[in-house]
Amino acid sequence: MKPVLRTQGLSKSYGSRPALIDVTLTVPAGRVVGLVGPNGAGKSTLLNLAAGMIAPTAGTIEVLGSRPAADAAQLARIGFVAQDTPVYAGLTVGDHLRMGRRLNPRWDDALAEGRVAQVGLDPAQKAGRLSGGQRAQLALTIAAAKRPELLIFDEPVASLDPLARRAFLQSLMEFVAELEVGVILSSHLLSDLERVCDHMIVLTGSRVQLTGDVEDLLATHYRLVAARGGLDALPPGVEVIHAEHTDRQSTLLVHDTVGAVPGLAADTEHLNLEDMILAYLTRAALGAVGARAPQTLEAQR
Amino acid sequence: MIWLTWRQFRGQAVVALVALGALAIFLVILGLQLRNVYDANVGCAGCSVESGAQLLKDKYFSVLLLTGFLIILIPAVIGAFWGAPLVARELEAGTHRLVWNQSITRTRWLAVKLSFVTLAALAFTGALSLLFTWAASPYDRALNDRFDPLFFPTRNLAPLGYAVFAVVAGITIGLLTKRTVIAMAVTLAAFTAMQILMPTVIRPHLQGPITENVQFTAVAAHGIWTNPAGQVSVEGYDVPGAWMLTNEAKLVDSTGAQPSKAVTEVCFTGDFAKDKACLEALNLHSVLTYQPADRYWTFQWLEFGIYLLLALLLAGYAFWRIPRGLS
Repeated sequence: MKPVLRTQGLSKSYGSRPALIDVTLTVPAGRVVGLVGPNGAGKSTLLNLAAGMIAPTAGTIEVLGSRPAADAAQLARIGFVAQDTPVYAGLTVGDHLRMGRRLNPRWDDALAEGRVAQVGLDPAQKAGRLSGGQRAQLALTIAAAKRPELLIFDEPVASLDPLARRAFLQSLMEFVAELEVGVILSSHLLSDLERVCDHMIVLTGSRVQLTGDVEDLLATHYRLVAARGGLDALPPGVEVIHAEHTDRQSTLLVHDTVGAVPGLAADTEHLNLEDMILAYLTRAALGAVGARAPQTLEAQR
Repeated sequence: MIWLTWRQFRGQAVVALVALGALAIFLVILGLQLRNVYDANVGCAGCSVESGAQLLKDKYFSVLLLTGFLIILIPAVIGAFWGAPLVARELEAGTHRLVWNQSITRTRWLAVKLSFVTLAALAFTGALSLLFTWAASPYDRALNDRFDPLFFPTRNLAPLGYAVFAVVAGITIGLLTKRTVIAMAVTLAAFTAMQILMPTVIRPHLQGPITENVQFTAVAAHGIWTNPAGQVSVEGYDVPGAWMLTNEAKLVDSTGAQPSKAVTEVCFTGDFAKDKACLEALNLHSVLTYQPADRYWTFQWLEFGIYLLLALLLAGYAFWRIPRGLS
């Protein structure tokens, strides 16, 4: 199977402001992909590039093996729900389904009608009068009923209250199971993605910090605690993501690509996803602040 | 896609049809009235064609002029209210991100929307132009001044060109500004600029005008005056049906030189008829520039063609722009 997403040196700038810098990654098929990072990290830019809404400044991007939005056939393969889930305020829910039916060759009417009934949308209601959660459900329905091979959601739950958020993600997971469709969704909150995604891309400061299957990531990241100085020499292939030192002991968060960690320290445990991603975000934030942060750490020794 | 375009356009179409109905009733009444007046004063046995035409002019010049302005205003309004929001409103509301992710390319999306609204504008303006041309035809027959810049843009083909241009300009400007209100304003400004440039700078030169040396006759002159240097100007030399590019002609003698003050000054006594006869006796000439009446249709087609070409260029730009992402 073709990878869902493959980019090579992908960059995008708006004027002189870079939004995405040199992103190279491959996401294998059949994953529910979470794209996480703080606001302004470049998540929307990456997803809009994947949907073909905007064109890259440099580099290449392929989605399901083809250039995004290259033609009608490629558009039919991808369902993209943009941020704020735009709908036509003046058109009714029924009009939106009719639009979907007329503009998509693989439109699944039964699915669309079924979902609208299930989430309690009134087909005669103007879309402009829907609540945020209802609008997101409508957008999800349109995207899913075109029967794409890949669904892309840009911050689908950002504007929803916790209850609607849960309901939306619930719907989404039902779709994924039912339709055997690939999914990429982004959020600035890991908690939204943690339960549903099996592949993560962590983006911050316009760069990819971490990417991989959740299972692999969990298996290769450790927290090591040892006496101060006991971990100064790490074997090659073990990368320190974050280090904290007190007078007596050192705590390291490491990424082990070679399987060398077990046995290095008495106190070794796997990291959970949240701590892992936080460690990467912290590292990126410290790097962005400049050379001051390491000096502070240095001074504490 | 046609369905969606129609669904989004429906409200505007209803407004347009109501307006068209009201205008059609007005134009039909105007046309019938003009026909009655024409038959009673110009087309009747033994009537003076000249005084009949003058009567028509006195009674209907203003209303035809103002209605003509309306006929030009309508393409401008169409451009601002149909063309400009067509893409700009989608970009403003973000709904382009919904529709561009259906299984239809942006190029096709734009092609359907642009064609649909342009055809609607053509139909609307065409119906009005046809009705107005019909309504004004007795007047035009009697006065023979449809080539005049005040009337030329309001009849026959010209309004159709304006409509196509206005709609396509609105769409393309909307694509560039991404803001509906700004696009509307810019579209109106562009339309107005073209309406000023066309008759003053472009249209007079579409074909080389005819220049003619005309003998001054008392009959043809509507007004004469002299300046302190003795230069005599004459107003109202009309070549029937032609577009006069010379409004006031300076009188020269047979050698082409300005007659001396001493020669002309004696002719200005205050008695208009006598003064004209006096000047006629001096064997004076004036040089007139004009576009002759038989070029009327050539100029209509050229006017239509130029606006169509501009619209095509703008549309070409929009189609080049839209698949390339918007930012």
